[in-house]
Amino acid sequence: MRVFYYLELALRSFRRNRVLTALMVLAIALGIGTSMTTLTVLYILAGDPLPGKSDRTFYVQLDAEGKENYQPGGEPNVQLTRADAEALLRARRADAQAMMTGGEGAIQPSEAGREPFHVDVRYTSADFFSMFDVPFARGAGWTEREDEARARVAVISKQLAEKLFAGSDAVGRTIRLDQHELVVSGVLDAWRPTPHFYDLFTGAYEQAEQVFLPFSTSRDLDLERMGNIDCWGEQSMTPTALVAPCAWIQFWVQFEHRDQAAAYRDFLVHYSEQQHESGRFVRPPNVRLRNVMEWLDEGKVVPSDVRLQTWLAFAFLAVCLLNTVGLLLAKFLRRSQEIGVRRALGASRRAIFVQFLVEAGSVGLVGGVLGLGLAWLGLWAVRQQPQDYASLAALDPSMLAVTFVLAVASSCAAGLLPAWRAAHVTPALQLKSQ
Amino acid sequence: MLQMKNISKLYRTELVQTHALRALDLNVRAGELLAVTGPSGSGKTTLLNIAGLLEDFSAGEYRLDGVDVRGLSDDARSRLRNQKIGFIFQSFNLIPDLNLFDNVDVPLRYRGLGRAERKQRIESALERVGLASRMKHYPAELSGGQQQRAAIARALAGEPPLLLADEPTGNLDSQMAREVLEILEQLNAQGATVVIVTHDPEIAARAQRNVHIVDGVATDLEAGPALIRGSEKRLGPIFAA
Amino acid sequence: MDFFPILAALRRHRTAAVLIILEIAFTCAMVSNAVFLISERLRRMDRASGIAERELVRIQVTGPGRQENAQAVTQEDLARLSGIPGVRSAASSRQLPFGNSSWNSGLTVAPDQLHASLNASNYVGSETLFETLGVRLVAGRDFTRDEYIDEEAALQSTATLPIIVTRAVSERLWPGENGLGRIVYMGPGHPLRIVGVLEQLVRPNELRGIGDFELSVVLPVREKYKPNDNYVLRVDPERRAEVLAAAVAALGHSRHNRLILKQQTLEEMKNEYYRADRGMAWLLVSVCAALLIITALGIVGLASFWVQQRTRPIGIRRALGATRGQILRYFQAENFLLATMGIALGMLLAYGINQLLMQRYELGRLPAQYLPIGALSLWILGQLAVLGPALRAASVPPAVATRTV
Repeated sequence: MRVFYYLELALRSFRRNRVLTALMVLAIALGIGTSMTTLTVLYILAGDPLPGKSDRTFYVQLDAEGKENYQPGGEPNVQLTRADAEALLRARRADAQAMMTGGEGAIQPSEAGREPFHVDVRYTSADFFSMFDVPFARGAGWTEREDEARARVAVISKQLAEKLFAGSDAVGRTIRLDQHELVVSGVLDAWRPTPHFYDLFTGAYEQAEQVFLPFSTSRDLDLERMGNIDCWGEQSMTPTALVAPCAWIQFWVQFEHRDQAAAYRDFLVHYSEQQHESGRFVRPPNVRLRNVMEWLDEGKVVPSDVRLQTWLAFAFLAVCLLNTVGLLLAKFLRRSQEIGVRRALGASRRAIFVQFLVEAGSVGLVGGVLGLGLAWLGLWAVRQQPQDYASLAALDPSMLAVTFVLAVASSCAAGLLPAWRAAHVTPALQLKSQ
Repeated sequence: MLQMKNISKLYRTELVQTHALRALDLNVRAGELLAVTGPSGSGKTTLLNIAGLLEDFSAGEYRLDGVDVRGLSDDARSRLRNQKIGFIFQSFNLIPDLNLFDNVDVPLRYRGLGRAERKQRIESALERVGLASRMKHYPAELSGGQQQRAAIARALAGEPPLLLADEPTGNLDSQMAREVLEILEQLNAQGATVVIVTHDPEIAARAQRNVHIVDGVATDLEAGPALIRGSEKRLGPIFAA
Repeated sequence: MDFFPILAALRRHRTAAVLIILEIAFTCAMVSNAVFLISERLRRMDRASGIAERELVRIQVTGPGRQENAQAVTQEDLARLSGIPGVRSAASSRQLPFGNSSWNSGLTVAPDQLHASLNASNYVGSETLFETLGVRLVAGRDFTRDEYIDEEAALQSTATLPIIVTRAVSERLWPGENGLGRIVYMGPGHPLRIVGVLEQLVRPNELRGIGDFELSVVLPVREKYKPNDNYVLRVDPERRAEVLAAAVAALGHSRHNRLILKQQTLEEMKNEYYRADRGMAWLLVSVCAALLIITALGIVGLASFWVQQRTRPIGIRRALGATRGQILRYFQAENFLLATMGIALGMLLAYGINQLLMQRYELGRLPAQYLPIGALSLWILGQLAVLGPALRAASVPPAVATRTV
């Protein structure tokens, strides 16, 4: 196959022009390295945290606030009041639904002499685990009945189980959270949804919580909450009271088919109208029902700095490629005599074009390998950053493939003009006698 | 082999129009040894370029080995050039990055031949010009005469019916020039059509036929008797490397 | 130097010339914006917080909310902490600048106003908060001891409580005045009279928008222990580490089942807060450096190629009497011309990019002074890059003109 001949010629040409080739490879490698580092970070941060289910899982928003600061058509509060969340949960109008909010507390290990330590907690309801495909290593979550009964039950993370029970089965054992005893019903497997989509207030890329327990139980035990709380109107009671005019609960629903969302939306509007009639809702119905990706988009989860960095890296790649075009042009036209000779010996313009395009692509291939190394280095540097998403920055197989495709494609693109110019060298001019 | 009728070539720049060739007729039969002579700027190089399909012409008709070249795509021309024509240039035009083996290989690669066949042809071509032992050498390591012989081997390897030589002896001293000329004569004797552009009268004298070009117009001249001066005509490999 | 023949000569090498111009243009545009971005980030990090950053350390404590007599817990903690050698002043505070956790309220200037005039962060802490944080009053006074009331009382009260605001709040609500004596409302039943105006006290975070970083108010609420409270100590800068260790030990003794969540100096908090900006600034610096290097190498590569292509004309010129210096200057002039065209295009591109950034990333307009900086650096870069090839051109011997092969 003639391509192998061209690859051989390319290799020879590299050896002949070591410095120039090294320069081109370096430029491409730098461009590819920075682009792939930022692209990988973006890809990780902007990914779908619930693949397969994200288009039929929705976040609910209602407008329960008062007259103050009312903008017709504005965004309703990001969270629900406790009263609304519990009402929607009881209504059970979706195939699965869960209310949840963040919490925190201190775990006291049972062995004497061990210090208590702080954990992040999630107060939620039974459907949480099945809705979000949370993997269990042992045991299972709790049931609806246990929700209603305010059972003293909890699900703990893999790390916590290891820390407290070091290898032995944690299911059925007890943990002490803020002086209260809870029975472990299940231990999770490693789980880190990226982003931490179900509650963006506790850190968009944070690790998942260590302890999960029923929301009802958390109120019974008056456990500490964590996250954002918005209160309005008369501040006459504890914000976490059932009828307090405060929004601090997240509410997610899931359907078998995403077309069912429309009907649920109607239900939400109807519910808002009912609340309005009873005098609780002051504003007209203003509901939102967004699926996971829409919700993440609205919440502007991906930090704008990350987007900016990605654009910067690609602009840098563009300059590197522009540079490569010039260097390739110089490299190819330097061989005008050779081109003339080859044309005289029977090479068509197309053959010359392909020959030099292959050479450009080979530079890209080598640059891609080096660029991959640089990207790996770049991601290592990102992992050293203290950002909460830092530890997630790693190359995965699909990004690896993208690196090579990008390197070869971009260097071929850079080589198009120089190869075309090479192919159109006038043989007669190169060969003439003095 | 080569039939040109009414060929004109016009060079246009912003200010002037130059007629490199005017209404040129030329018929070269297969197996002829033709010398094309004329003063500098007469258009002989242009004629060679057109004959070799390296340049296009403004008017007229050109048939190469029966094929009308007008309207042929670049791909078709290149293929024709590869299969029918072997070039020999004044400044040898070997590719400096490649050794002799790879230089002779170039036209064969564009022919699409397999490895074994290419190897066999290259080796036999280099043998014919007496450079088989220098196969792995680079052009820079050879003398002018050797380089030209290598260029001839390259022209031969594909066994084209037509050889076009542009001042083949121009950069060589008289001894090497004679050697090169003898090879060309040999090849002609073995059946190749050879067209040599030259302003060396000695070559003109040895050719069977002369075409003289002045100001873009060709005139056939009767060649002088084939004077053999100072060298012997021998058949087979000419000299030891 | 007559530029027309140079231009004419360049026309024959159009493609390569265009490439150099484009490369310089892009580099100029990107570097100008990058340098601007860097300076914006540095400016951001330099903002005055209003507190004595270098003299403060904080310990964040968490643990059960149910404390018997939380007020006593706070007093006990503060007494212990004040007793540590090196501590000039100790206070408890629920919020801290750069602390990220915040409590925000809308303020109105009339009781029945429906839309908040602005949203400010609230600070509540112990009576010693002002002297510990080191904030400065520009008008009015600090709260008196008896003005402090308990949280529950504050919720129930309808009396006009005192409030201290930052100058930014006062400017926003009553431009030109200092707001002393004015009344603001945090909800219809809660009038507050401004008794003091602080020069500066930034919010704990910027979640409400970058422009409102300076809108804070302080409330005379006697803070008692709640999980995630901060104890902040004012110490001599050199003794910070020592005091921090002692404080952690001291609080550890009177546990009340609490945990120490964080222990750090305020400077560390500030660094953590601005880490994204710092990272961005470093990234921009590296990209600028890389861009300049690559552009320089590109110029070297193409210029070398040109010199090689034009060896004969150069030799001819030398044979006709041109000096080495004249050949050198020719190439430098050629490079200068290309750089100028590139920079001109680059300026336009710079503004275009700036427009995009303004729209999507809350950046300001590129100030004009960055353009001469960008231009100058690229001119110098180009001249340095072309020096090598130009010197090589100048050393082409005149004999080249006569050689035919």
